[in-house]
Amino acid sequence: MHKSRANSLIFTTLSIAYAALILFPVFWMWSYAFKSESEMFARPTVWLFTPTFEHFGYMIENGYHHYLVNSLIVSGASTALVVLIGTPAAYAFARYRDMKFRDDLFLFVLATRMAPPVCLVIPYYLIYAKFDLLDTYLGLVIAYLTFNLSFYVWVLSSFCRDLPLELEEAARVEGYSRAQAFVKVLLPLLRPGITATAVLCFIFAWNEFMYAFLLGGQTVKTLPVGIPSLITTQGVRWGEMAIIGMVGTLPVMVVVFFLQKHIVRGLTMGAVKG
Amino acid sequence: MTEISAPSAAAAVPTDDGYHRESRWYPYALIAPTMLTLAVVALVPFLYMGWISLHEARYGQVGAFAGLENFRKLLSDARFWNSMSVSALFVVIAVPIEFMLGLIGALVLSQKIRFRSVLIPFLFIPSMMAPIIVGLVWKTMLAGSWGFFSYNILERFGILEGASVFASPDLALYGLIFVDIWEWTPFMVLTFFAGMQALPANPFWAAQVDGANPVQIFFRLTLPMLAPLLVVIGLIRTIDAFKVYDTIYILTNGGPGITTESLSVLGYKYTFDFWEIGTASALAVVIWLVFFVFCNVFYQIAKRRLNVF
Repeated sequence: MHKSRANSLIFTTLSIAYAALILFPVFWMWSYAFKSESEMFARPTVWLFTPTFEHFGYMIENGYHHYLVNSLIVSGASTALVVLIGTPAAYAFARYRDMKFRDDLFLFVLATRMAPPVCLVIPYYLIYAKFDLLDTYLGLVIAYLTFNLSFYVWVLSSFCRDLPLELEEAARVEGYSRAQAFVKVLLPLLRPGITATAVLCFIFAWNEFMYAFLLGGQTVKTLPVGIPSLITTQGVRWGEMAIIGMVGTLPVMVVVFFLQKHIVRGLTMGAVKG
Repeated sequence: MTEISAPSAAAAVPTDDGYHRESRWYPYALIAPTMLTLAVVALVPFLYMGWISLHEARYGQVGAFAGLENFRKLLSDARFWNSMSVSALFVVIAVPIEFMLGLIGALVLSQKIRFRSVLIPFLFIPSMMAPIIVGLVWKTMLAGSWGFFSYNILERFGILEGASVFASPDLALYGLIFVDIWEWTPFMVLTFFAGMQALPANPFWAAQVDGANPVQIFFRLTLPMLAPLLVVIGLIRTIDAFKVYDTIYILTNGGPGITTESLSVLGYKYTFDFWEIGTASALAVVIWLVFFVFCNVFYQIAKRRLNVF
């Protein structure tokens, strides 16, 4: 008994040390948002400092709050669209497993998810240039469908497989049509899965850099695009970059606490239930 | 809701004929919006890119049919082979380390530890953060003479003085690999941990009763039972590591020279720096073929062995 308590102490210490190793760099980067330049570049490292808000002033003066608004609009719109289009498909892929070409179609969905963005961004750029979609909200929302719609269908489909078949049959016996049984009986049960998957979609869109950088142009700049824009010819604006890093990470922090059970399932495309 | 046995449910379903006719088209109607959308947003651009790869194309102008000329140009470009080896090296070093550390971490996490439920959410943070912000975190931590990590660790222990890891041709790639390991190991830990928690308990009790030691239990029970999961996660991570772009862009953008120029970075440069659209498309087609093979293997294993899809 004594030995197992010692072991428990060692493993607990190890785990806490590891969590600190993960968190420390993130919080250290955040601290730059409140440091003056001399404190940032000090050797040896400065631990205590009086916070300054000059960097926040720069961000507002230069319109970086629009980046935040753009991020919210694009991520929100693309997530809403994905839920609307993808929910029936996720259910069908889980429920009608013997439909013809199911495996091929499902694999196609997976392939669009896995596709490297650099492959798609080239044709997108040329097509958007032709149809005047560069530099528009719609353009980014469409581009985000490639990875989010396929992700949503795959992961929600794994939630759908957990639904009991008997419930649907019972509803059919009560005289519901298939569509009614889905909407009135299954959809309410599926709500936690839909919420979790949709929130993950929102985060992926929120985090996306390459499409936003190349297709967003001058007016539809999202938060991640703000980071390289602060590496200027007059030098790197570390404090301002740290503000974007902080604001960009906050929603992620909230999500990991509320959705922890579903993140494993999401990031493994439904392969691990979490 | 009252329990209804299966046969009576089947009998009560309205008119057999209509039921079957309905059942044939109904699933396709449900997936139609998704499949049509994906066809437009993914398949059409992909085919368009394939078409461009067979034509002369520069500066956004698609010219005459060129056959496989773009592919020939690509395969004879030393820069392409350099990027292949950069990407391969990145994957071959980063993924196995993440994998091993992930397994060890999952084993530690499944011991009797306190505050586990408090610690777990924090482990999700690196893999859920925007990769570009992960890059920013390490850009500041490893920023030469004043970066926290470069000053307090690298310089103190005489590994590297006064310069950023990412400015050194010898170290830059390993710096990027380190960042990737920091970013993705916690994800591996949590996934393997979740997998271990889901294993049935009976075989483990039986093994303990039979007097197996922890090492035997790990190699003879845990590992074989987790095997399909490990393969699937390994594949997902391999695919992701192959296409990593954001962190490289912000940390080195392929430099110094071309020492960290991965396939994604090269694809970007072909397109938006050199405007060699034809060659870029050929590169994209090659990358996509490789990915499709990976995806297929992933799918087959996941479907047959894990029975989750």
